[in-house]
Amino acid sequence: MSLIETTGLSKHYGQVKALDMLDLRVEPGIIGLVGANGAGKSTLIKILLGVIAPTSGTASVLGMDVLREGASIRRVVGYMPEHDCLPPDVGATEFVSHMARISGLPRSAARERTAEVLRHVGLYEERYRQIGGYSTGMKQRVKLAQALVHDPKLLLLDEPTNGLDPVGRDEMLDLIKRTGNDFGIAVVVASHLLGEIEQVCSYLLAVDAGRLLRAAPITTFTARTPVLAVEVEEGADRLAAALAARGFKTRAEESCVLVALEDEALYDAVRDTVADLELPLIRIEQERRRLEDLFRDAAPVAGSAQ
Amino acid sequence: MTAPNRAVVPAGNIYDLGYRHYEGKRHGRWYAAWSLYVESMRGVWGFGRPMTAKAAPFILLGLYAFPSLIQIAFSSVISQSVAEGRATGLFAYDNYYARISFFIVLFCVAQAPELVCRDQRYNVLPLYFTRALGRLDYAFARLAALATALFMVLALPMIALFVGDVLMKPDTLQAIGDEWPKALPAIPACALAAVSLASISLALSAFSPRRAYSAIGLIAYFLLMEIVPVVIYSVGRQADWTWADKLVLLAPNTALAAAADWFFGVGLVTQGSEGYPPTLGSDAYVVAVVASIVVFAGILLFRYRRVQA
Repeated sequence: MSLIETTGLSKHYGQVKALDMLDLRVEPGIIGLVGANGAGKSTLIKILLGVIAPTSGTASVLGMDVLREGASIRRVVGYMPEHDCLPPDVGATEFVSHMARISGLPRSAARERTAEVLRHVGLYEERYRQIGGYSTGMKQRVKLAQALVHDPKLLLLDEPTNGLDPVGRDEMLDLIKRTGNDFGIAVVVASHLLGEIEQVCSYLLAVDAGRLLRAAPITTFTARTPVLAVEVEEGADRLAAALAARGFKTRAEESCVLVALEDEALYDAVRDTVADLELPLIRIEQERRRLEDLFRDAAPVAGSAQ
Repeated sequence: MTAPNRAVVPAGNIYDLGYRHYEGKRHGRWYAAWSLYVESMRGVWGFGRPMTAKAAPFILLGLYAFPSLIQIAFSSVISQSVAEGRATGLFAYDNYYARISFFIVLFCVAQAPELVCRDQRYNVLPLYFTRALGRLDYAFARLAALATALFMVLALPMIALFVGDVLMKPDTLQAIGDEWPKALPAIPACALAAVSLASISLALSAFSPRRAYSAIGLIAYFLLMEIVPVVIYSVGRQADWTWADKLVLLAPNTALAAAADWFFGVGLVTQGSEGYPPTLGSDAYVVAVVASIVVFAGILLFRYRRVQA
C-alpha cells in the first residue's frame, strides 16, 4: 500500500490552476515536497487532509480515499500548518493535551502523551507558560508537538522551518529526521528551500505551478557540484575569463560570476584574481542551490566563459 | 508499553529518551465534540486562563444574580407583609429576566466572542478541522457550551429566590411543596432564553476574528433590535398600522421576557404591560423565539461550513 497516491489530481481556483493533473505514487519515508511559493504544496497537503476538495482527479492517503474517507484519514494524520496557529493565552501543555483529546485520546492518555511529546520536541519548564510569550522556535516546536501528540501514521509538515534562525532550523530538521527515522512515522515536509529539505529527506517531490516536475530518491538530486558566486561591481566577464584561464569552470551572470567549487584552492584563486584585476568585490558566497538550477538539465556551471 | 524505537542519537543530545507509540483507545467525533464542549465551558468561565479572563464572566454572573441575593437578604423584612398578602417580593421567577436582562446581554457580549473569535484570529481552526472533529460538530459544541453557561447564569438567581423563599417560611417541607410548582416553569423558560441568546450571539460573533468588532456588533444588534421595533410599534399604534405590533416579536429581550409568560401562565403579556401589544399572546413570542433560534443556529452553521481553514 502506498503512502500517497494521486491520479490526475487538479484543483482550480477560477483561472488559477493550483494543481494541474498531478500523478503521484509515494512510498513511506521522509518525503520532501519542494516548490516555490504558490507552486501548490499547501494545496496538495490540504487535499490530502480532506480539508479542501479537488476539482478533479482522485487522491488516497494510506489507502483511504480523501473524498470518501476523509474523517478516517484525519484520525491517523498529523498536520502542522505553515502559519501561526496557536492561541497566545494558554500554556503549551493545556493546548496540546486539548488537541490530543480532539484527536480522540482519552483524558489520561492525552495528558501522558502531551508530556512525552513536549519533551521530545524539547520543551521543558516553559511548557506551563503561556504560548504568547514563546519565541518563534518554541512556537514551531509546539506546532510540531500538536501534530505528533496522537501518534499519527503520517505527518504533514508545511514549511516547518518558517521564521527560524539557522540554529533553530537545524534543530527542527533534526527533530523531523528523528521523527521519520527513529519513530517510524512517515513524514511529508513541504518547503521552498531545497537546501534544507535535502538534509532530511529520503525522497523528493518537486512541484512547480501545480505540476510534478520530478519525483525521485534524494540521492539522484544531490550528486552535483556546489557553486561559488563572486559578485563584483564591474568586470565580471574579465574575472570569469581570468578564472577560466586558471582552469575553473565559470559562467558570468550580469555582475556575478558562478564558479564550480571543486576544491578549496578556488578561494585563493578568486582572491588573487580579483586582486590582480583590481576589481571592486562585493561578495563571495557559496550559492544556495535554487530550484531553477535543479530543473535546468544542463549543468548550472558551463565549462566555458562567455 | 514497549519502547522499540529507542532513539540512537549522538551523546549529549538532549532528546535521548526514545519514543513510544500510542496503542490505546481512540475515540471518534462525538468524543471530540464533547472535549471541545468541555474546553469551551472552561473558556467561558476563564478556567485555565489568566485571572483577567475570569473577571468578566464572574462579575457579570454576580451582577445578574445580585438583586435576587439582595431580595433574600431583606426578605426577613418584607416576608411578613408577603405572608400577610399585603405585598409581593420585587423579584419573582416570572419577572426576573424581564427586569435584569441587561447583565445577561452583557454576558453574551463579553463571552460569545471569546468562544469563536480566538480560533479565527489565531488560525486555530485548521487544527480542529484536520482532526476527528467536523466543522458542524465544532459549531454545535461551541453553541451548546455557551447555552449551558448562559443557563447557569440564568438559573442562579432562580435558585437563590427559591432557597430564600423556602427558608423564610417556618415549615420548610411545606414551603418546598408550595414553592416548587411556582419555580418549575423557570427551568424551561431559562433554557429557552439560554439557547436563544447563545445562538444569536455566537452566530453574530463568528463573522469577525476580532473580539472587539464582534462585541460591538452584538451590542449594536441587541440595542437596535430592542429599540427600533418597539419605537415603530408605538408610532404605528397611533398611526393605526396593524402590522406594527408583529415587529415587537423581533426584539430579542422583549420576546424572551414575554415568551416566559407562556411557561408561567402569568406575567407581562397577560397583565398588558407597557410595550407589549395586546394583540399578541405569549404563544406568538414563543414561536418567534424558537424561529430566531433556528435562523441564528442556521447562520452559525452556514458560517462554519464556509469559513476558511
